[in-house]
Amino acid sequence: MLIMRRRAGESFLIGGEIEVEVLEVSATRVKLGIVAPDAVQIQRKETQITRDENVSAASSVRRDRIFSLLEKVALGGSRRAVKTLTVVSPLTSEDT
Amino acid sequence: MNRIQTKCFGEMSYSQKAVFEFPGGLPGFEDERMFAFLSQPAAHPLMFMQSLTRASVCFILLPILVADPNYELSLTPDDLEALHLPAGRQPEIGTEVLCAAMVCAGAENRPHPTVNLLAPVVLNLRERIGIQAILTLSGYSHRHALLALNSQPDLALCS
Repeated sequence: MLIMRRRAGESFLIGGEIEVEVLEVSATRVKLGIVAPDAVQIQRKETQITRDENVSAASSVRRDRIFSLLEKVALGGSRRAVKTLTVVSPLTSEDT
Repeated sequence: MNRIQTKCFGEMSYSQKAVFEFPGGLPGFEDERMFAFLSQPAAHPLMFMQSLTRASVCFILLPILVADPNYELSLTPDDLEALHLPAGRQPEIGTEVLCAAMVCAGAENRPHPTVNLLAPVVLNLRERIGIQAILTLSGYSHRHALLALNSQPDLALCS
């Protein structure tokens, strides 16, 4: 990892077209200004992590997996094996 | 009651009260704005977050306090504003907001189910608005092992 020291008001370049300027520095945060071509996607790392995880979560949803999941989240006591999921009820605040 | 095509359970009926709007979409699913939140006694405590516009988009959710009984929400001022909640304090889970973790139920390369505690789904129950918050500084994992639920030792005994 390249480490660089910069002060507020100073900037650096990534390649020829991306400029990152340090706008403001406080005790716990830095404010950065980024200039880049439209084609360059800029996002917070945790947004990318969340996006990837959302895609994994959505593609993991299969009916057969729900049954094995239920075995893991059965909270104590005896749980009868779930054979069918047919009863439908809308979510209510009690479900929290 | 309206009818909806779901990913796992065929056609189901749902109440309009179960529908929440996500004005900002979700990372990776920016075009999905309306979701029905469905629960079924047989699948308790799991919930299903089914897109109203695309049957193939469904998430399995677990109430956050089931996933982690000590979970602490730390919404940013922007999150609170997006949810139309008062600024300056965290909402109460269960009364003001429903908070749930997305479950990854397993995949080829990840056989064990995990829950995303880093980015919980938070719903304003009164206004029926939802967001996926990203708790950047919380230290929570986006792949918290679900296996720990049953095998968690009784911490009270250790203290």
